[in-house]
Amino acid sequence: MQVRWLIPLGAAAASQAAFATQYLSVQQAQQQAFAGTGEFRVVPAPDAAVAAAIGAPAGWSPQIFAARAGDKTLGWLIVDQVIGKSEAITYALALDAAGAVISLEVLEYRESHGGEVRMPAWRRQFVGKTASDAAALGREIKIISGATLSCRHLTEGVQRLLRLYQTVLKAQA
Amino acid sequence: MNVRLQRARPWLGTLVEMRIEAPAAECAQRAIEAAFAEIEAVHRCMSFHEPGSDLSRLHAAPVGTVVAIDARTAAVLRCALDLAERTQGCFDPGIARELVANGFLPKPRSPFVSDAHANWRDVELIGDDRVRLHRPLWLDLGGIAKGYAVDCAIAALRAQGATQALVNAGGDLRVAGPREEVVHLRGADGAGIAGAVALRDAALASSAGAATRRRHDGRWIGVHLDGRDRSAVGLFAAASVVAPTCMIADALTKIAFAAPPALTRNVLAGYGAQVVIHGERGDLRAQGRAA
Repeated sequence: MQVRWLIPLGAAAASQAAFATQYLSVQQAQQQAFAGTGEFRVVPAPDAAVAAAIGAPAGWSPQIFAARAGDKTLGWLIVDQVIGKSEAITYALALDAAGAVISLEVLEYRESHGGEVRMPAWRRQFVGKTASDAAALGREIKIISGATLSCRHLTEGVQRLLRLYQTVLKAQA
Repeated sequence: MNVRLQRARPWLGTLVEMRIEAPAAECAQRAIEAAFAEIEAVHRCMSFHEPGSDLSRLHAAPVGTVVAIDARTAAVLRCALDLAERTQGCFDPGIARELVANGFLPKPRSPFVSDAHANWRDVELIGDDRVRLHRPLWLDLGGIAKGYAVDCAIAALRAQGATQALVNAGGDLRVAGPREEVVHLRGADGAGIAGAVALRDAALASSAGAATRRRHDGRWIGVHLDGRDRSAVGLFAAASVVAPTCMIADALTKIAFAAPPALTRNVLAGYGAQVVIHGERGDLRAQGRAA
């Protein structure tokens, strides 16, 4: 175990980039869920009436792809987005032909507020105790710890997509 | 040439993120899948919500019944009981009654209601696979189970050949490998950055009152409680703990909120851990050794 606490040197040591990570592209998610499948046919997004029936907000437009092999539908990959108080999560749900979940992957995660370094008083705890490393502190935020957001919105999003399967996709298998 | 892979999936009520490096793409993919399988297993054993979990079966059984549990659940329970003893009950896994009463956890399917006077001392762990309650008591392993899941995921990643690994489950994370990773710490109010820490082969857990606190009947309530009198602690603070394992780091954030400073220092020293506590308006309360 090796630790170096990095001290905020004041409000100037700021990293203004909002925290964001891309994990997978849509294409990578397709290939991971349906390895070796060449064809992904775009399925039109549900209309407003269907969206309302399954409890989706106005303007909801998930990207739906049918994974095909010849005449057979192997399943679907649905790319959707959920937005929380300060974060947006784009995710892909893969379903097999019977509607069972194959995989659930987060494609992209971003937070809307910037990552400015605040509370210079925090450093008082370290005075005389540790070497400061303002450069490392000010680097792009790649990993962030603490007070994280729940995945409740994501869970609700998945439930919405499972209702979409029951209402629309099941009949297309 | 090392291959990098990063993935995030929802488990344990949060987003679990993994960033790894491995000698080959297949190895990386296999390692990620093995690590997520570990996370899923811990989730299924120790979830308060899932009807089939070890905890739910314990809560569903009459008081005094010997209930078979997974070795993983036993390991986490043993750690929780040990911490309760070391902290004279400041840390107590038996606080689910209060969390249910305040709406932070759903009411479990249980033939009994958790006794207000029952606590960790009423839990008897038998060997590595059974447990018995001596009084009506609902247990919550939430935080430390999450930390344990991170530890299990790191072990799986290493076993599968990952050369560098980071697993981040909400506030609980751990890094393994020769390279140092810089982790930014969220501010106590959940916005902005309070600082950062560079870690090598270490775990970091952060807890903040702002994430869950709310007003209830004219007073503030939250999920962090002093096990002795079940009063809310750490409502307006954040604690970040670095420790050798993530399970211990997670538990120590709660102990730093609840226990008297001298006791916290002792417990931290026992694990070789370090803590930083920051308040929401820059007010500080230093406990333990910061470097």
